[in-house]
Amino acid sequence: MIARPIGRRLFAALTGALCLALPLAQAWAVDIEEVTTPLGLKAWLVEDHSVPIVTLAFSFDGGTASEPQGSKGVTSMMALLLTDGAGTFDAQAFKRREEEAEVSLGFGASLDRVSGSLSVLTANRDEGFELLRLAMTEPRFDPEMIEQRRAQATSSLNQSEQRPATIAARAMMSTVFAGHPYAPDVEGVRAGLKALTQEGLKARAATLLSRTGLVMSAVGDIDKAELARQIDRAFGSLPAGPAQAAVPQWTPEIKRRTIVIEKPSPQSSVQIALPGIARNDPDWYAAFVMNHILGGSGLGSRLSTEVREKRGLTYGVTSGLRLFRKAALMVISTASANDKVAEAVTLIHGEMARLRSDLVTPEELADAKTYLSGALPVSLDSSGSVANLLYSMKVDDLPRDHLDKRPALIGAVTAEDVRRVAKRLLRDDNAVTVVVGKPVGISAEP
Amino acid sequence: MLPSRRAPIVTQVVVYKVGSADETFGHTGIAHFLEHMMFKGTPTVGPGEFSRIVARNGGRENAFTDFDVTGYHQTIAADRLELVMRMEADRMANLQIVEKELTPERLVVLEERRQRIDNVPSSLLDEASREQLFGLHKPYGMPVSGYVEDVKKYGPDDLMAFYKQHYTPNNAVLIVAGDTNGEAVRKLAERYYGPLASRPVEARRRPSEGGNSLPQRVVRADPRVAETRWSRDYLAPSLRLGLKEGETRHAYPLAVLARVLGGSETSRLWRSLVLDRKVALSASAGYSGASLGLSSFGFDAQPAAGGGVPEIESALADEIKKLLDNGVTPEEVEGAQNRMLAQAIYAQDSLASGPRQYSAVLSTGGTVADVDAGPARIAAVTPADVLAAARDVLREDRAVTSVLTPVEK
Repeated sequence: MIARPIGRRLFAALTGALCLALPLAQAWAVDIEEVTTPLGLKAWLVEDHSVPIVTLAFSFDGGTASEPQGSKGVTSMMALLLTDGAGTFDAQAFKRREEEAEVSLGFGASLDRVSGSLSVLTANRDEGFELLRLAMTEPRFDPEMIEQRRAQATSSLNQSEQRPATIAARAMMSTVFAGHPYAPDVEGVRAGLKALTQEGLKARAATLLSRTGLVMSAVGDIDKAELARQIDRAFGSLPAGPAQAAVPQWTPEIKRRTIVIEKPSPQSSVQIALPGIARNDPDWYAAFVMNHILGGSGLGSRLSTEVREKRGLTYGVTSGLRLFRKAALMVISTASANDKVAEAVTLIHGEMARLRSDLVTPEELADAKTYLSGALPVSLDSSGSVANLLYSMKVDDLPRDHLDKRPALIGAVTAEDVRRVAKRLLRDDNAVTVVVGKPVGISAEP
Repeated sequence: MLPSRRAPIVTQVVVYKVGSADETFGHTGIAHFLEHMMFKGTPTVGPGEFSRIVARNGGRENAFTDFDVTGYHQTIAADRLELVMRMEADRMANLQIVEKELTPERLVVLEERRQRIDNVPSSLLDEASREQLFGLHKPYGMPVSGYVEDVKKYGPDDLMAFYKQHYTPNNAVLIVAGDTNGEAVRKLAERYYGPLASRPVEARRRPSEGGNSLPQRVVRADPRVAETRWSRDYLAPSLRLGLKEGETRHAYPLAVLARVLGGSETSRLWRSLVLDRKVALSASAGYSGASLGLSSFGFDAQPAAGGGVPEIESALADEIKKLLDNGVTPEEVEGAQNRMLAQAIYAQDSLASGPRQYSAVLSTGGTVADVDAGPARIAAVTPADVLAAARDVLREDRAVTSVLTPVEK
């Protein structure tokens, strides 16, 4: 099927100069309540009765990084297959029930967690939470569905190995996390998919779907008592298993490396990875502001100004802080024509150096702060986005009043803080650079 | 104006009733290039400043170009609506396009094309398929981003001429959603957009015929492809235009038909191709009626290891024959309708979806009344309507089949 609009950029726009901004109105009245159910389960709730919808976001401790050798890929497959039939309902019957009740229910896996989400109309709330209960407590893992999902997953793995941006991201992760469970293992997953069995899927579900380490948040047309009742119905019969075995802490290797992967494409995809900063580090907010000024949100950042706006070397260049349970990265990504990519990479290192040596201007600092304080409330334009915010606050172990404190924490960052954290993070001797395409003027540096 | 009280934020959307399909061969990509240049300054707001000011005020903004429409949108605290309206009105009338800004932005536009099209084998195939379906060098048969040789030759005067021709208040639609009210929006709009001079705009034309040698088959073998993809698109009427008189009545039935045939994993195609015959890993159908000219009804499938393109085509032929012989059941139609109507409730939950819906219809010749009547028109579709639409549209002489394959080693 064809046709789609094209946009001016892949990323939301931003950043600043000149005058100081006015204080911003608080957007969504995020009044977070704590709910403790009769069975002792805990969730955060933002009640909002303006639209007859409830959204629940939740996750379980443990993800793909804790998969044992020989069963790589099993966690994602388990998550996917939870909604492929449960109890006395095979996949078709289960999906028909979801459709008839207009329920949106899905699970997925990341390195550290298995997450799920449920959206349901108020009128069908009981049915929505019942389907959630069935999926988590009585999944069927029918052989026919295992075959189908195995074939689809193998195919999309094959296809993903052809996309320059995906290849670059994967090679970057393999290099920085070499020897650590966070390193992607494509061949391991391929073998694991082949070896996938119903017993293996059941065992993985039994290990991970536990009340221990469960994190939940809800938003929408529901009150505390009703949410508590529904949560106990859906999650109450899950076992309270032992805590998951912890993934070891990652220790970065301090070494500059460049990896070039030749692919027949007109444009080279680039990833530059640096060791990042933990969410509970005292310099987190300084790094947050520094990243924004460097390339945090696309247009207007220093990287975008130099690489895109002044020279037209790319359609997009961004930087981001990435958090994992036992590691943190700072990643800069871009894509540029094969014969221009070397210049783009040089400019990126130039901007890293400038943040290490010079103080950011008062205007840049003020603009970054007003943006970072104001953009969060403006992003809360649907109950799903609020539920995800609450959920990520819980995963990051932030307090319930975090949103009240956040503007002051951002506001306290000084230009000196930004330079200090730039010196700490933006180190050329730490950078792992991956280039995928047919780059001119960039050579491997193992 | 679409009010929502749940958060003190607003979204302003301005769409112009012009898109890439209003360009002619030899002059492609102007609408999109101009969209980029709309951020490059007026006498009072410098190059790049529009984005910076929105950001400094905690807002988000972006823009897009499609075949029939070019749009600009911002989401920001409700008390900043006046700011974004003032700036949007300013660049509606006072845009400056200078060589110094145009030169690097041209490279950005070309880089965007590399990233979205040249680096993506399926996008390259789409371009070739559109040429066949809608006709070579015809409005929907040319890429939105334009041909590279065209984009390379434009100077400020070319873009400015296009701007003068199409960017005028009488050719724009303003949509505001969020925490404000109709009266406040009207006052602001009259103040900022009201004084801008209107200019006559030429009537928009779209051909009521497609490519002149259908059916066609387009095959692309690409070393960057690991897995074969198969699709087939049929020329279809939109809400506004059909190949024959009266065909637009099929638009809502076609939306229902797409759901029944391939809207989910319980659809006919999924059950037949993926579950029963196991010739495909996935199968779907799609249709959108929001187009000023003709639209398309499409099928998409990925062959399974045990199947190939011939098996997919034979299974689909059987399903289409069954459909044309026996039609669809009242239960299937009702199920599809319920799902489409429930989606309308879910759409209320997001500040972005209302403006998206209205702008799609208003920029393609529809009215507010059309949008509001949408749910009732979907609910009124009968199995007989669906069958009649299928019989008119799912015909060999309207089809382009596209196959993307790995290169044989």
